[in-house]
Order: sequence, then C-alpha cells, then structure tokens
Amino acid sequence: MSTAPASGEPLIRVVDLRKSYVLGDVTVHALRGVDMEIGAGSFVAIVGASGSGKSTFMNILGLLDRPSGGRYFLEGQDVSGFDRDRRAILRNRKIGFVFQNFNLLPRTSALENVELPLLYDGHARSGEDRHRKALGLLQAVGLGERAHHTPNQLSGGQQQRVAIARALVNDPEILLADEPTGNLDSRTSVEIMEILQRLNREKRITIILITHEHDIAEYGQRVVAFRDGRVVSDRAVESRRDAAAELAALPALQEEAAV
Amino acid sequence: MRIQNTLRIALRAIQRNKIRSALTMLGVIIGVASVIAMIALGSGARASIDQQIQAQGTNVIFVSSGSFGRPGGGAVRGGAGSVTTLTLDDAKAISEVRGVTRMSPMVRGRAQVIAGDQNWNTSVEGGNEDYLAIRNWALASGANFTPRDVLVAEKVCLLGDTVVRNLFPDQDPVGQVIRVKNLPFRVLGVLVPKGQGQFGQDQDDLIIAPYTTIQKKLLGITYIQQVYLSADNSDDVERVAVDITRLMRQRHRITNPEEDDFTVRTVEEMAATRVQMANTMTGLLMSVASVSLLVGGIGIMNIMLVSVTERTREIGLRMAVGARTRDILRQFLAEAVSLSVVGGVAGIALGVLVSQGMTWKLGWPTMITSTSILVAFAFAGAVGVFFGYYPARKAANLDPIEALRYE
Repeated sequence: MSTAPASGEPLIRVVDLRKSYVLGDVTVHALRGVDMEIGAGSFVAIVGASGSGKSTFMNILGLLDRPSGGRYFLEGQDVSGFDRDRRAILRNRKIGFVFQNFNLLPRTSALENVELPLLYDGHARSGEDRHRKALGLLQAVGLGERAHHTPNQLSGGQQQRVAIARALVNDPEILLADEPTGNLDSRTSVEIMEILQRLNREKRITIILITHEHDIAEYGQRVVAFRDGRVVSDRAVESRRDAAAELAALPALQEEAAV
Repeated sequence: MRIQNTLRIALRAIQRNKIRSALTMLGVIIGVASVIAMIALGSGARASIDQQIQAQGTNVIFVSSGSFGRPGGGAVRGGAGSVTTLTLDDAKAISEVRGVTRMSPMVRGRAQVIAGDQNWNTSVEGGNEDYLAIRNWALASGANFTPRDVLVAEKVCLLGDTVVRNLFPDQDPVGQVIRVKNLPFRVLGVLVPKGQGQFGQDQDDLIIAPYTTIQKKLLGITYIQQVYLSADNSDDVERVAVDITRLMRQRHRITNPEEDDFTVRTVEEMAATRVQMANTMTGLLMSVASVSLLVGGIGIMNIMLVSVTERTREIGLRMAVGARTRDILRQFLAEAVSLSVVGGVAGIALGVLVSQGMTWKLGWPTMITSTSILVAFAFAGAVGVFFGYYPARKAANLDPIEALRYE
C-alpha cells in the first residue's frame, strides 16, 4: 500500500490553505487561510453552514480541487501542486468518497459499482479477482445477497452501503464522507454511522465526515466548525455517540431481519 | 485501464440505448454500404473490360484506313474506313514486321442473308484463314476455311450463333447453303458464341468468309479496310505498333503525322480508355458515397456529445474514484469507434447485398474485393476516431467537482 508517513508527520496537514473563485467580476474567497492537522486513524467531523467553505475544504482534501494558496501535505508529501492525473492516481489509491446522493452508476449492479475503482488502479486483474474483492466488501456492509441488484432495486440506506463498499475497495487511508446521511432517515443514518465507526475502529481508516447536522457530527472524535472560510472552532467531542449501542437499543425492523 | 475493460464499458453503453445506437449507426451503415457497392461496381466494370480484352485476344493490333487523329492539315478527311489507300501490299509488308505472328486483311459489309424460308440482315466480315485465331474465335462445329478457299475466293462461310438461331432455328447449318446477296455460300462451320461486346453489341451477329470473296463478289472493291495482327507476346505489342506506324508512313510517304491516312490501335489501348472511364465513374460515385459516410460520422459526433452531457455525473464519479484524463478519453473514443465499426461491419454486409442485387436485378457487373472490404472497414474506424475525438476530449476535460454536481 503506501509508505508510512515520516515520523511525527500527521496523515494530513494543511498550512494557510486558501481558495478563491472568480465569479463574473466578483472574487469569492471560499477558504481564507485554514491550518489543520488530521492524524491517521482519527474520525473528524467538519461542520458549518452552506457557504462556510467546508465543501471546498473537502474537495481540496479529496484532491478533487487544487488550493489557490497554501500547502497541503498528504503523508508528508506536498500535493498542492499535483496535476489532474497525479491527483487522480492518489484519489484512486488513498481516498474513498461517500456522497450525499450516493452517486452509483444507474442500471449497473451493486457488484460492478463496487468494482469501479479497481478498473483505474493500474493493476491487471482478472474479472474474477475483482468480483471476489467487491463481493467481500458488499458482505462486510451486509449486502452480499444483493450484489446483483441495480441501484433502483435498493433502498437509500442500501445504496449508501454500496457506496461505502466502493469507497473501501482500494484499501484507502482516508474515507471522505460528504453529508452521507443527508438523504436518509434517522434510523438508516445511525446504521451508516455504525459502519463508519466500525471501519474507523477496526481498520483504522481515517474518516473525515462533512455534515451540517451537529448530532451526526457527535459520532466523530473531533468536530471542526467552519464559518466564512475559516476554522472557528476545533474541539474534541466530550460525549461521543456510539452508533452500535444506539442500534441495539432500537427495535429490530422487518427489513433488517431479511438481510 | 485495460483495453478489454474499456471495450466492455463502451459496448454496454451502446447496448443501453439500443434504438439510439442503431439510428446513429445507420448513417455509417449507409455510408459504408454505398462505398462498398460503388467499389464493387467499379471493380466489376474493370473486370468485365478485362474479360472482353481476353475475348478479343490480348496482343491484337489493328491497322485501319483513315485517321482517328486530331483534325489538322488542309486535306479533306473522311472517317475511318472511308479512305481506300490501305492495300493488300500494305498488309503483306506489315506482316513482315518483327514480332508479328499472324496477319489477316479485313473487309466488312452488311448483307441480307437467306436460308430456306428464313432471312436475316447481318454483318459480313472477310478475313483470311488466320482471322479466327487473331480474333480469338473458336468453332463450335465444322471447320475453318482453307488458304486455298481464300486464294480462289471460294463462296464459303462461317456463321455466328445469332445468325444460326435466325436462319436455322432447328437444323444443323454445317453443309447447308445460304444466299448472301443472292450468291450461294456453303456453310463450313459455326462459331462459339462470344456474347455481348464492349458496348453491348451482339458479337455473334455475323458471318465470316474469305476476304477475297467479300471484296470481289459482295463489295466489288480491291482495297482493304483493316489489317488485323497478333504480336508474339503482349509485352511486345507497343513496340510492334510503333514499328508498323513507321513502316506505313514510309510506304504512304507521309512526313507529317497529322496527315496519316491510317490508324494503328491495340486492343489494350482501347481497353485502357474504357478502364479510365470506368475509374472516373467509380471515383465520382465513391466521392458521393464518402459524403454519406461523412454525414454518418457527424451523426456519431452528435450522439456522443449528447451522451457526454447525459453522463456528466458518471464521468465525475469515475474521475473521483481515480479515472485519469486518458481513461475517460479512451472510454468515449472506444464508444464512438465501436459505433462506427459495428456500423461498418453491418454496412459491409449491406454493401455486399446491394452489389449482388445490382448484378441480379439490373445485370450490372459487380465484384467484391477483400481490399474494398478492408478499406471500408478502416474508413469506418477512422470516422469513429475522427468524430469521436472531440466529444471524448470534452468528457475527459470536465472538472470532476462540477461533473459530480451536475444535475
């Protein structure tokens, strides 16, 4: 997989990160100098109203976008100047994405959706290898039985679990979840958070969760609040929520019994 | 990404919109089919010209009286055959030219021929005993006339198939007597049919007799109209034709080539003109066909642009999970090329069918060559690459964030 970060170097370190867009004749400053460190294996929730800069921050962390100023060190390597293709390779190997609207390929089976990142990782694998790996991950999120269902045959929660399996298929260090529960009801939200907490705890995957719901943010260890392109608060969560415990307390549902 | 994955994704995308893909391909199908059919028509025309040359004998040279050259000089010029300056002595001198293996004088006229209660108007050709060999005629039955028949102007003849069918519908003509301009001619033999000639004329509608007989008894002339020659090999034909021209100018004391009172032509030369004509025609039809292929390509570009727009989110997602610029470029290029190549294959099949239909229904000669299939296939592929590149480039250059957010 990856080389270990240099000693003392956090997984992610951003220094004076800035991003501005030119919209017509107005320059919008989405990020106005953000400094932050995220250690490997942590679970960070990033909160803020829309327009606070949290999405821009996440796009830069996810290497989908480049900062207009400042530095971004990923495992000690300055990636702020990487071109499109180098960023694509890094995204493929190190970062898994989970989106609010799931972003699964329509009319494509869950299995093939999960396999998608494997097509771009440069390894010559047989179709069987890909299927095996993808199926293992679908089983891990409790969807082994539905591997051949297409997204429109799955519930929202199931679709998000497929998306999580897809994000994990290349064994990334970081999982970026952008409002993963935004389109889900509260019970399903807890289920998704349970999976994220389990991945963080058992596989030591670094989770960065973007949300505007403060109660969802409390599943993380640390909450960073953005406002007007700046970090306004960065604190450890005192009474962290435990999704597994909450689920156990909830009455079992018919649907879940069938899985 | 590996090539088979790229192809698989492309084919699946095509299958997803079956009707749309089929309609897009239709442009290429029609384009390729017309290219194939036009090449087939051209090759068929050339092949049938070749066949006719074979039928005439490849190394045949003929010297006609009169000139086909450019008008010039001040003399009154008649058409070919109207000049009476070509003589038997010329013919004999020509036969001495190195490389000439056979020589026959030739005279020609038309006559009403009668056998029993049947009559028919046909062409009467006169030659010597070598005439059949030079003209590549074979006998179906009977025998050729002899040098002695030629010498004494015997009233004997050979009948072409059309004449036989008109005069002797149900009788063996060999040994029978026919009347040509009221002179009795004994039928010595019947010619093997040759079928249609270069210009669609019936080559079997003729009688062949000794030229001496035709000269004296039918036409009342002493000159000859043409000299037919065969050269010993077809590579030598050009040189022999040049030598004959020189010899004839000497004999007729001609210094200015524009005043030639004779014309030397080879069968190949005549064929070359017609091959050129066929090529020009084919070229013309091909360019029209290529235009439809071009239009088909534009259709592909159009639908690929629609497809890129529709699948913006998919492109964004693929980029997010690690697709590089070239992965996306290849994916959409593969889709465009698949459309054009599948269309190309179908077009080739349709083109072959259309060609055969033209031969079968209209009687036009067509010939499908492997080259034409390869060319059409390569052309179709090239159309896909050319017209698929712009949409693919557009897809590959999308901004991943905007693509992911696209509604």
